[in-house]
Amino acid sequence: MNRRIAPEHWVGLAAVVLILTGSTLGLFVAPAERHMGEVQRIMYVHVPTAWSALLCFTCAFIAAIGSLWTGRERWDATLVGAAEAGVVLNALLLVQGSLWGRATWGVWWDWDVRLTTSLVLLLLFIGVLSLRSFASGSDRRASLTAVAAIVAYVDVPLVYFCVRWWRSLHQIQSSPATVDPLMVLPMRVNAIAMALLSTWFIVRRARLELARRRANETALPDRLPLNEVHHD
Amino acid sequence: MTEGVIVGGWGFVVAAYCITAVGLVAYAWSLHRRTQQQQARKDKS
Repeated sequence: MNRRIAPEHWVGLAAVVLILTGSTLGLFVAPAERHMGEVQRIMYVHVPTAWSALLCFTCAFIAAIGSLWTGRERWDATLVGAAEAGVVLNALLLVQGSLWGRATWGVWWDWDVRLTTSLVLLLLFIGVLSLRSFASGSDRRASLTAVAAIVAYVDVPLVYFCVRWWRSLHQIQSSPATVDPLMVLPMRVNAIAMALLSTWFIVRRARLELARRRANETALPDRLPLNEVHHD
Repeated sequence: MTEGVIVGGWGFVVAAYCITAVGLVAYAWSLHRRTQQQQARKDKS
């Protein structure tokens, strides 16, 4: 029996090992932050999740352009995989941020510009996936999804730069040069881990999408006689 | 002196890590299930 392991599973395995390593470093090795204390340890999972979510949406944006440009189904499948993984990661980062906000700001939620644009981004990409599920015809569905994803992506630069452009409760990006190396290490390890995990999610979801397309294409001839009868 | 310093908060940290782990595992599981279902459909047809 051929039990060859798909190459992306090695990426997934590496991601799990790195997440466990990075989280152990973040929880037990990194020092407590001077003002935020132990609560700052949430950053070692929150920031990598946020970066990965934005990477996924960027991947979806590139795939959307590729899909519109070439019409190849692989781009469309990658777009679906990246958008779905981005939605999951974006939802998780909002929950992590909410927990951090409750501990440091004293509130679960604030209509701050960073939080609001992040929520809008999540809703926009949920909209992209919902729109796709309603569209009929594989080509039309691919085009609609691609256009919607490009429109939704407009919010990504806003999410990233809003803390610099406007006054925000959310802190701006910090530099590794001003942070203890023991704090930088778990952040970097978890960032690589989340990027690898996102890759695994995207590839698995894209493969599933392609398999569904193949199944629909092969199922089509069985339906043809019914259509012919209907037209007659 | 603890003025201006957040004391405790391990509960929030543990909750954040646990929710993240559950979310990621649940999504990975859903991908696995959907792939299996698709394979079963393909084998049937």
